[in-house]
Amino acid sequence: MNLKKLLYLGLGCAVLFAACQHGARRYQLRGQVMDKNVATNEITVDHEDIPGFMQAMTMPYKVKDSAVVQEVEAGDKIAAEIVVANNGNDYWLEDVRITDESGRKTTKAPAPAQRLAAGERVPNLPLINQDGKTIHLDDFEGKAVLLTFIYTRCPMPNFCPRLSSQFARIHDNLEKTPEAYAKTHLLTVSFDPKYDTAPVLRRYGLAYLDNDASGFAQWDFASAGPSDLRKLADAFGLVYFEQGNQIAHSMDIVLISPEGTIVKYWSNEWTAAELEADLRQQAARTTPTTQTLGEGRSR
Amino acid sequence: MIRRARWRQVGLWFIVALSLLACWQISCGQNRAEQRGRELFESNCAPCHEAAKLDLKKQPPKLEGLFQSKTLPSGAPATDEQVRKTIIQGIGTMPAFDQRLSEEDVNALVKYLHQLK
Repeated sequence: MNLKKLLYLGLGCAVLFAACQHGARRYQLRGQVMDKNVATNEITVDHEDIPGFMQAMTMPYKVKDSAVVQEVEAGDKIAAEIVVANNGNDYWLEDVRITDESGRKTTKAPAPAQRLAAGERVPNLPLINQDGKTIHLDDFEGKAVLLTFIYTRCPMPNFCPRLSSQFARIHDNLEKTPEAYAKTHLLTVSFDPKYDTAPVLRRYGLAYLDNDASGFAQWDFASAGPSDLRKLADAFGLVYFEQGNQIAHSMDIVLISPEGTIVKYWSNEWTAAELEADLRQQAARTTPTTQTLGEGRSR
Repeated sequence: MIRRARWRQVGLWFIVALSLLACWQISCGQNRAEQRGRELFESNCAPCHEAAKLDLKKQPPKLEGLFQSKTLPSGAPATDEQVRKTIIQGIGTMPAFDQRLSEEDVNALVKYLHQLK
């Protein structure tokens, strides 16, 4: 075998070897638009598996070109490129192309039930907390309550882990002012009751409470039976549904007054500082009478 | 004599070609397994462990060199079994991947983590 032949052979092998490799942090997305939000420049897409980035699921994406959000409609099938920057911390859609408009106006995301309006009383449904104890929202009457929904296996850092992390920050800050700590309560409700049993919720809660179980007196982690959970979710406008081995869901935070009525909702745009300020403001409204009542009812 | 030499040359070529094909198959097979591990890492681990700064209570540790240390960031021994357990059950604020990744996926992921240096 002469040298030239060997070189060709080596080159051929190198080409074959290179063909088995792959590259870049841009991924192709194919899916169907379920909803759009012009104000936040987002579209919610029910997409197929994105190898190397994400399993098939429905979730909102920022779109680089705002004109696209104006143009697409729920039901449109699209192809786009997901650009993942900042080591996976930021991602958005570029080069969005509508591939099929025939489903337009016939497909919609599961419509959230008519949630309770500000001033309406919250439902007093039974929940099971991290200690396996039954609790009700009425137990916290006399305290301002900040409630949110999560599931402990949520792998998206900007969703449930962020919610729990920011609640932990609020909890830690409130703890520094005993008066506000006594007049407030945090409540994290899991919408995955099959997996998130009391022991799982306890372990999850302890991770956010620096392993200090005394924090459960001010921050409950709870779940409920499927029927009650659905009623609670509908009351607060939470949308969640199983998709593959994940749970697609909206992000919802509710502020409940010491009288047990809805004060305010947040979805995507919020900071822990804002939540804490509004919670403290509600707590400051607590009269000594209602405060005593609330303390007597909670654990 | 000449014919025998030619046959020997053809046989040699045949062996060389077979060897190259086998190498290529092994290499592609390894690359496919590695690619699967990398895909699983990018879609399940990187969003937290490779992110520069997240709005989380604790910044997830980088996983490069995970098996080069005697212990994991949790302090547990850096063994395949411990890493597998951590992936499935979660630890601290890290979510459990129980019922989300198959045993095969977890094995591919652990194998890929060994290569992260």
